[in-house]
Amino acid sequence: MSNVASNHFDVIIAGAGVAGLTSAAAAASRGLRVALVSSGPGTFVFGAGCVEIQNMNSKTPSLAEAIAFFCKLTDLAGCGFYGAIDEHRYIPTILGSFQAVSLAPFYMWNGDPSASNEVAVVGIKGLSSFNSQFIAERLATHASDLGQSAAYVAKEIALSVEPGAIPGTLRFGHRYDREPRFREELRNALKPIASNVDLIALPGILGLKSGRKEIEWLERELGCMICEIPTLPPSIPGLRLFNRLEVHLRKIGVEFFLGFPIQQLLIKEGRCKGVLLETPGRPQKITSETLILATGQFSGKLLPTPSFSFTTDLRPVDSTGAVIADNIFAAGAILQNTPAHAGNAIAILTGYVCGMAAAGVGAQYAQGSQG
Amino acid sequence: MRKDRKDEVSLDNCLKCTDCNTACPVVTAHPAYPGPKRLGPELERMRREGIECDTEWVEYCLGCHRCDLACPNQVNVSELIARAKAAHKKTPVRRLRDFWLARPGLLGKLNTIVPEVTNFSLGLKPVRKLMSMFMKITPERKFPAYTKPDLRTPNVVAMNKGERVVFFPGCFIQYNQPELGRRVLELLELNGFQPEVASTGCCGVPSLANGNSEEAYKRATANVNSMMEAVNSGARIVTACSSCGHMLKTGFAHLLEDDPDLATKAAKIAANTYDLAELLVAQQDAGKFNTRFAPATATLKLAYHAPCHQKSQGIGRPWYHLLRQVPGVEIEDLNAGCCGMSGTFGFKEEKYPVSMEVGGELFAAISATAPQAVVTECATCQMQIEHGTGFKAVHPAIVLLNAYATDAKQYSFTADTSGKPKDDNMPSCA
Ligand SMILES: Cc1cc2nc3c(=O)[nH]c(=O)nc-3n(C[C@H](O)[C@H](O)[C@H](O)COP(=O)(O)OP(=O)(O)OC[C@H]3O[C@@H](n4cnc5c(N)ncnc54)[C@H](O)[C@@H]3O)c2cc1C
Ligand code: SF4
Ligand code: SF4
Repeated sequence: MSNVASNHFDVIIAGAGVAGLTSAAAAASRGLRVALVSSGPGTFVFGAGCVEIQNMNSKTPSLAEAIAFFCKLTDLAGCGFYGAIDEHRYIPTILGSFQAVSLAPFYMWNGDPSASNEVAVVGIKGLSSFNSQFIAERLATHASDLGQSAAYVAKEIALSVEPGAIPGTLRFGHRYDREPRFREELRNALKPIASNVDLIALPGILGLKSGRKEIEWLERELGCMICEIPTLPPSIPGLRLFNRLEVHLRKIGVEFFLGFPIQQLLIKEGRCKGVLLETPGRPQKITSETLILATGQFSGKLLPTPSFSFTTDLRPVDSTGAVIADNIFAAGAILQNTPAHAGNAIAILTGYVCGMAAAGVGAQYAQGSQG
Repeated sequence: MRKDRKDEVSLDNCLKCTDCNTACPVVTAHPAYPGPKRLGPELERMRREGIECDTEWVEYCLGCHRCDLACPNQVNVSELIARAKAAHKKTPVRRLRDFWLARPGLLGKLNTIVPEVTNFSLGLKPVRKLMSMFMKITPERKFPAYTKPDLRTPNVVAMNKGERVVFFPGCFIQYNQPELGRRVLELLELNGFQPEVASTGCCGVPSLANGNSEEAYKRATANVNSMMEAVNSGARIVTACSSCGHMLKTGFAHLLEDDPDLATKAAKIAANTYDLAELLVAQQDAGKFNTRFAPATATLKLAYHAPCHQKSQGIGRPWYHLLRQVPGVEIEDLNAGCCGMSGTFGFKEEKYPVSMEVGGELFAAISATAPQAVVTECATCQMQIEHGTGFKAVHPAIVLLNAYATDAKQYSFTADTSGKPKDDNMPSCA
């Protein structure tokens, strides 16, 4: 990263979802000066970022590399993901079902029914969106469907509620971040339950900013494993993933322009010179050598063509097959053929490939190998 | 700015994703605060249907715009809350206090007639107690010191033929920190500009923050009119206070949108307003930034706090990057949220605890960094940081100006009588 104030970058990455953040990390890891511009955060309030690999396998070009990169990246950011391409784990959901995943963050990884014999699903008094009775019953049924014998019991704990506050995961998450006393209160409430089980499954409340240190502290104190279950939006584990990645990326030199949609791509004679952002007063112009579009599912209108598709090296082409600009790459849900519940795997793979391509490292994305 | 943010905001844009709530510093600090999603789009729906839903909570909004930046769907959340704030009914005591807090320009004018007396009495404990009893202004804080306003357009020597720029000082620099104003002018000169001081008053942010849109409207109109000549002649406007900058870039256009003539003028002012550091970075990208710095004799460890109204301008972190270029400076971006002061908010007795709770994360980050000084371009952020941590907080322009070598001026482009930069005058990037 050069030590100079400038609005010119090696690469601009548009979008702060899984695809954008991964490609920003990949490009920065190769020493590029990176700007990340985005109208808002990606879809993190809706989930936890768990990765399900569908229609791809260890023969898919670059996939193993991308997955290893993402696990390393999240680990450095303090919210490490575990798993591998051929891994299959089952993570409990708020509906009492199991979601099949290949990668999950460490605070959810142990939810797999094969990892424990006795599980307590712990609700919190007043937190109406999390019904521990319902979840425990359904998980027990689904676990036995999976051939697992783990037993599920429902428990409820009471936590102090501040005057005027309505118990909610966001409130609890903030308190976990800010108040040592709250963390101790939570530990004390869980302690009697922990002595009888080997896993506690609780609503996702363990901080929006917390990392491995703060969460493993609770596991150590309780002497049992913990698995968070993301609730209805906002999903605290999802926000944590975003916050930790943002802090980490800033640390490695990525410059953020968060909250300002791209108004226009500055394309001239087959090259993209930069972008215009919708900023107060007048549009802010940022220029770069390469642009990576990771703007999600409904963002195709940014491209100056009514219909488009992508080459195998992820360049957008118009309906005649002509490349729109030879220094634009696309990653994530904008590729349009991503199955909704395997979106993160493709976001990681294509984000990584594009970030590397910006750095001149040819990584291949074989489009044919996914569904 | 995009249309639906500035003009009629489509409430249908709100998908209730709660991203705004997760970014709100008051939600973090106050357990009962209903949050931007509720106070903004949800209540706006009811307000439009004429359903009575006035709530005192709108007064707790800091106007930090963090909800706006977090909203993936460009809902104009904080603007909706600001409108509700303007319509909110206050108790008489608060009305009186907020009358004064909404008019720092007037307060500045009165208090600087004999600044020594003002500063002496504002410093007295009993006076602060009385202000607490009768004005509901917290006795915990010291008032900023007032100085005789003597910030004038520098008498630039005829040889300076740089680009004309107009410096908008705002009330804090005018009445409390004129010294900083002079440094800003000097920095501009050093970087090839011919600065003059705008004959304007308060930008109007404090009026808006205190729910007084009529006063803000007056301020905006006066300011717009007084700067039109300069802008029409091609001059750019420079702000050094991030709240003034934000106001000039967005607030005027909002306030004056119903009057087509004023609205056009406001848009023109907005399009030509530059934050000082934004301007210097542009100067650097054009190869014209003066880097004639004195060699470092010691390291200077700084911590940078980005004010909310700086973040909301979408210009990146120009000061952070400019100071990183200064020999000997080690600077860390704290990135620890809102300071909690929000201009006059932190002075209000009933809001003082929330203000301090919001700032908690920033205070902790500063203490952990233990810098020689904190740099931040907002004067009220500086006050809050000094109050909350005891660390010194200064405007980054002061650090930058101090870094120049004593002979930097003769290497600045404007020293050239032809007014055009000469290659052999190029300051070298060490
Ligand atoms: C409710 C829900 C549940 C899901 N569950 C799962 C799951 O369990 N497993 C799974 O693998 N996938 C899941 N997905 C899909 C997954 O979230 C996405 O496919 C994947 O994360 C896509 O990431 P992305 O980075 O491409 O896009 P996004 O996360 O959508 O990010 C797009 C980014 O671009 C920005 N942007 C958009 N337009 C502009 C513009 N004009 N200018 C600047 N920035 C712009 C947005 O603000 C955002 O930051 C789910 C999706 C949803 C909605
Ligand atoms: S972030 Fe925007 S869309 Fe989401 S709830 Fe808030 S206002 Fe609505
Ligand atoms: S402007 Fe700031 S304080 Fe007000 S609701 Fe939005 S985020 Fe919260």
